[in-house]
Amino acid sequence: MSFILKYKSMEEKRDLPNDDYTIKDLLDDMDLSPQTIVSKQNGDLVIEDTVINDGDEIQLVQIIYGG
Amino acid sequence: MKCSKCGNPKVIIKREQSGQLLCKDCFIESIEKKVIKTVRKEKLLDKGDKVLVALSGGKDSVTTLEILNSFRKMNVIDICAVTVDEGIDNYRQDGVDIAIRHAKRLGIEHKVVSLKDEYGITLDEIMQRENHKGSCSYCGVFRRTIINKAAREMGATKIATGHNLDDEVQAIMMNYLEGNTDNLTKLGAKTESKAEEFTVKIKPLREIPEREIGIYVVAKELEVHFDSCPYAMQSFRGEVSEVINQLAEKHPTIKYSTLRGYDKIKGILKDGLEKDYAHGRCEKCGEPSANRLCKACSFLEELGCD
Repeated sequence: MSFILKYKSMEEKRDLPNDDYTIKDLLDDMDLSPQTIVSKQNGDLVIEDTVINDGDEIQLVQIIYGG
Repeated sequence: MKCSKCGNPKVIIKREQSGQLLCKDCFIESIEKKVIKTVRKEKLLDKGDKVLVALSGGKDSVTTLEILNSFRKMNVIDICAVTVDEGIDNYRQDGVDIAIRHAKRLGIEHKVVSLKDEYGITLDEIMQRENHKGSCSYCGVFRRTIINKAAREMGATKIATGHNLDDEVQAIMMNYLEGNTDNLTKLGAKTESKAEEFTVKIKPLREIPEREIGIYVVAKELEVHFDSCPYAMQSFRGEVSEVINQLAEKHPTIKYSTLRGYDKIKGILKDGLEKDYAHGRCEKCGEPSANRLCKACSFLEELGCD
């Protein structure tokens, strides 16, 4: 069970730790604030409560930068 | 989970301040309606206005241009744009290119003004000087001067900037905490100066949270420059922003209540504290100035760029 993560110039395959692993959990694991990121699941904008499924492509877009 | 407005299960945002869930189409519509409401409520536009959009190519200015363009399509206003190239290597060019493409897409008059052409020095060069006063001081002053000048040259009657709810609340709190009552009188959706050389400034996105502007451009697939200025550092604004965002986690309406509170006392602040200056003119460039030299010319003199 895995998904593809795209963030900035990075693209990597990641294991799904459990069945109800959400984008919010992913952001926590990456130490990213949900306030500064929008997430896409297979190309569609989604909220952070969305559960990541096997084979998903998750793209994180940073929309807020400091300064 | 379904969109609170149309029932679409594809929800893209949960608004913490209201609990509202919205799908892409309803979210885009809500942002555009809210900006149009601000424009009407604050009387930001008059029929026949020529609005100069300060277009950096970032999310806020591109959104401002996109939504104001709906008034242009209805023949209410005309739009032009200016982009300031501060001369920051590996950063600014992307934004300038994006700004050029948006202006071309919409078919509007657009000019790019560089600090190098205007003053003979780039921000990168200024930052190599030992006696510099910090990038943001120069950038803010030079940019403001260039935008004001462009407004006059292009015959604009209003200047629209992309200031959002977060920017405005940060400015209210910063100026209050610093005791800067003079600056505190100058905030608001529309700022007019007594000096006729200064064009009226408007902030159509003043009631839209920064995060929602980011989601709007991604949802509308608008090309924007998402990047951090290399000179952005831990500033007082950054510290204030952090505190406000922390408070907003437990109190999601705090940004709106700060803005509303300020709007209620703004009239009293202006009546009691507004200074009446800018009657004089800068000896060098002729811009309105309280002192012998305006801030831009005074910086240029210090930098030896006379």
